[in-house]
Amino acid sequence: MGWKFDQPLYCLSDDKEQKEMIEHWEKEKHGGLSEGNNRLPMPLVLIMALIILTAFMITMPIWGQRPTADNFKEFVANMNSPEVQQIADPEKKIEYLYNLVYSGADSRLQGALERHPITWDDLLNIAPGIREIQNGGLYPLSWYNVIGDRIVLANFEGNYVEIGGKLVRERLQPWWDKGYTIDVFYVTYFIITMIIVIKQLPHFTRKPDIGRI
Amino acid sequence: MGFRQHKFGSAGIGLMMGFSMSITLFFPSFDFRSGVSTWVGLDKQLSAGRLIGFSYEDPLVRGDGKPVTVILDKDPSTGAAIDPPIRAYVYKPGTPFSPGINHTDQLGLGVEELSVNVGKINDAKPGDGIVFTIVKGEFNGEELDYVENATAVRGWTVDKVLSSVGDDAKRFVGAGKTIYITEGCWWCHTLLPEETQDWQYFGTPPYLGDFNGEMPTAFGSDRKAPDILHVASRNSSREWMYMHFFNPRLVQPNSIMPRFDYLWAPIGKGPSDARDASGASIDFPKWRAEYMTYLKGDSIYPPDVPEPAADSQVRALVDWIMTSLR
Amino acid sequence: MLLKLLFAKNEDIPVGSATIFFGYSSIFWFVVGTGLGSFNAAKLAFPDWVTGTELFAFGHMRQVHVLAVILGWISMAFAMTMMYMTPSLGNTKLWSEKLGLWNVFLWNIGLSLGLLLLWMGITSGREYSDLIWPIDLVVIFGVLLPLGINVWMTIAHRKTQGIYITNWFFGSMIFLTIITVTIGQSPELFNLTGLTEAYLTFWHAHNLLGLWITPVAAAIAYYTIPKITGNPLYSHRIGHLHFWSIIAFYSTPASHHLMSAPLPEWLKSFASVEGVLILIPAVAFIANILLTMKGKWSLFVENVEIKFSVTGVLLAIPLNMQGGFQQTRAINWYVHGTGWIVAHAHLALLGMSTFLEIAAVYFGLQAMLRRKLYSLALANLHYWFVIVGFCIYWISMTIAGLIQGAGKIYEVPYIDVVIAEHPYMIARWIGGTMVFTGNTIWLYNMWMTAREGTIIPDGRYAHEMAYER
Repeated sequence: MGWKFDQPLYCLSDDKEQKEMIEHWEKEKHGGLSEGNNRLPMPLVLIMALIILTAFMITMPIWGQRPTADNFKEFVANMNSPEVQQIADPEKKIEYLYNLVYSGADSRLQGALERHPITWDDLLNIAPGIREIQNGGLYPLSWYNVIGDRIVLANFEGNYVEIGGKLVRERLQPWWDKGYTIDVFYVTYFIITMIIVIKQLPHFTRKPDIGRI
Repeated sequence: MGFRQHKFGSAGIGLMMGFSMSITLFFPSFDFRSGVSTWVGLDKQLSAGRLIGFSYEDPLVRGDGKPVTVILDKDPSTGAAIDPPIRAYVYKPGTPFSPGINHTDQLGLGVEELSVNVGKINDAKPGDGIVFTIVKGEFNGEELDYVENATAVRGWTVDKVLSSVGDDAKRFVGAGKTIYITEGCWWCHTLLPEETQDWQYFGTPPYLGDFNGEMPTAFGSDRKAPDILHVASRNSSREWMYMHFFNPRLVQPNSIMPRFDYLWAPIGKGPSDARDASGASIDFPKWRAEYMTYLKGDSIYPPDVPEPAADSQVRALVDWIMTSLR
Repeated sequence: MLLKLLFAKNEDIPVGSATIFFGYSSIFWFVVGTGLGSFNAAKLAFPDWVTGTELFAFGHMRQVHVLAVILGWISMAFAMTMMYMTPSLGNTKLWSEKLGLWNVFLWNIGLSLGLLLLWMGITSGREYSDLIWPIDLVVIFGVLLPLGINVWMTIAHRKTQGIYITNWFFGSMIFLTIITVTIGQSPELFNLTGLTEAYLTFWHAHNLLGLWITPVAAAIAYYTIPKITGNPLYSHRIGHLHFWSIIAFYSTPASHHLMSAPLPEWLKSFASVEGVLILIPAVAFIANILLTMKGKWSLFVENVEIKFSVTGVLLAIPLNMQGGFQQTRAINWYVHGTGWIVAHAHLALLGMSTFLEIAAVYFGLQAMLRRKLYSLALANLHYWFVIVGFCIYWISMTIAGLIQGAGKIYEVPYIDVVIAEHPYMIARWIGGTMVFTGNTIWLYNMWMTAREGTIIPDGRYAHEMAYER
């Protein structure tokens, strides 16, 4: 088969090859069916690009993440304050703490607090763990997830950092998360493959004469 | 027409699927293998046996060939008190072992070494009848739970353990989980509180090492009913469970759960063999007639739910719920 | 009659026998499957209806409904269309009618046995892989492999130089489905356990939908729409994009089914990007088919096969919009495990896929029997019963799912959710029963077509003479 590479985004086949393909399409009928050579309409090409962009944007680690122990450190710091101790009802206690922390938080933390409410009982359960990590824990608080009434190291594989003389992986989702990195390569390979496959066909301006379309 | 030829196309399909499968199957297999069994994971697999569902030892999926979990509050050999009580997993001769005993590498780093070197699980042979327990040990400065072959280490034989306790302490967990699978409970109940939002209500989601050796995991995907991974922590009343299984509308008028009154039959038998604890057969038509009069308001109290027999299916099911779903 | 043909010489078997047997079997299983669905829905609305025996308990019936529909109706309808489209597109005959007949025979026997065992509760306890492993082996070696061999050999013996896109889909998707099923059942065959088992269960479930149920249905539309409208397929180029993006993007997002399980986080991130990218094959497919309809939109009203096909393609739009986005972390936490997903699954199987297959079964049976449809009115009645029933089902379950999602997030006691869902459960039952009724009409209509349909003269097609008396 004849290749030509002078205009790779126009067509990758030489004229002879293109002509043969078109003639073949005009001649050959599959069970009475024939195929056109129309292009993907331009709006749909844009939609495709939008889909790929959206796929990466919407799955970025902004939404629906686990609550980290870091989110609740202000709760723990203030939970034994005289103001809180004066309140009897656990629900009021946590409401007071929530309002206190929420007003002083940045928007990221505000969003996280909205999505991950905590009860007074759970707070009592996780508070000793959070204090333990704060006072001489090996890793920073943000590496821990609060799951139920327990605090566990998160499941992410981040950058290597040196802690206590040892190289360990951060338990934070890095911007280059392995899944996204594989995705970027996977999608890139796919697009390159598709360009080669489709541009090898006759250019869409050369339409086979197969009747009405 | 080079690109339309089937050779090129077939190679392309193979290549693309190869790419896809190495990312989705080969790469994650390393992550899956690195999971270290937690206590929950060890308890699950030791109490369930080799596998739940269709298998050589249990072709009719009735709960045959499963170990018995025993709650021990005193040492069967010496009689010394054990506080808090521990669980012993009694494998009678011929009962196949759970996957982690046969393939110790599934237990995970540390647990495998402790179980083999200290727990002597490699000495166990299925023909002998073995009692396993879970104990704590230290590996590279980390505290881990590992499996111990109590028959070899402590001299707890199957007979000794079973005769040292009453019927109350025996829990037919493996058989109970089998009933959970055959009766399709998992079509409505899930065993997976979600990590993001709903653990506040249903309790702690499972951890990475909680599944080693479990088959099937039966997470469930379609939740028409509450998550029950920790149901026994919310409700520990066996009485309530029995009433709820016999007719869920007795305790929860708006429930859409089916009635499971046929589970009062012994394991492997049909509803016509249903007996209560005294051995008398259960008259379902009479019970339903009395229930209808109660529904209409003609009687103040609903009919009593029969006490299940010790070998009934519902007892095994509630054993599993009360023992595993905590 | 089937038994006589099974042992006849291949040359003596009338052309189209395999198509016809597959066609009627698939309709039969469709009636059975939707009947079970309607029964199950009734049990969810009225839990005290038919009680006291395990055989009619919801937990014993639910998986029978799912597998009767997937393996009985959808897969058999696929086999039926493969039996006549593959040879037709290669301008040749089916490689072996005899193999096709053995295939339909083993398929019905294996499926009946498997469903009977499931009904009795003899199961492996894995969703969509519920069948026990001996039956799984029957599915691989008695169902998929013979079908594959027949299709591959027919394509290899084609009389054309090129291979039309439908045949590319048929040949490759059977191959990939055999791989999917084999790997998906490996936990049972080799006793793999734990998270591996959970992941493989949903790897299998996802790929069964992504590489079998939706793309083969799309491939069918690539045949029926150009064939009946008489238009050439809009674009060979877009067909390429559709085909390759299906393999690339539909085979990868399996772990988005387990977003809240302790799988590696990178795998979930990977899967959720790939999950959105399934919109690429979807856009390519929908555009290609709807642009092929250009100038022939009147057939959407006039012709029953086109009516079914185009409805199926149109339903693919909401299907893929839901499917692409509901699996991202941003939305999944709200809808995961709720009735929303049930609605989505029925949109895929009963909506998009089934409508395309119904059209192909209508078309293929008329073409192979050489008989015109017994009653066009009944066919239209069938269409309206199925579409209205499906819409009632889909809308009610979507609402129920949103209620459940809200209940989940706002920590409403579960029983209040059950109470709030009750009216939608009744609507679901009504919808399901309408679909069942429609299919019963269809079975009657096709039965009468075989017995009393007007014989089609040579050189003509059934759809051309639909309005001739």
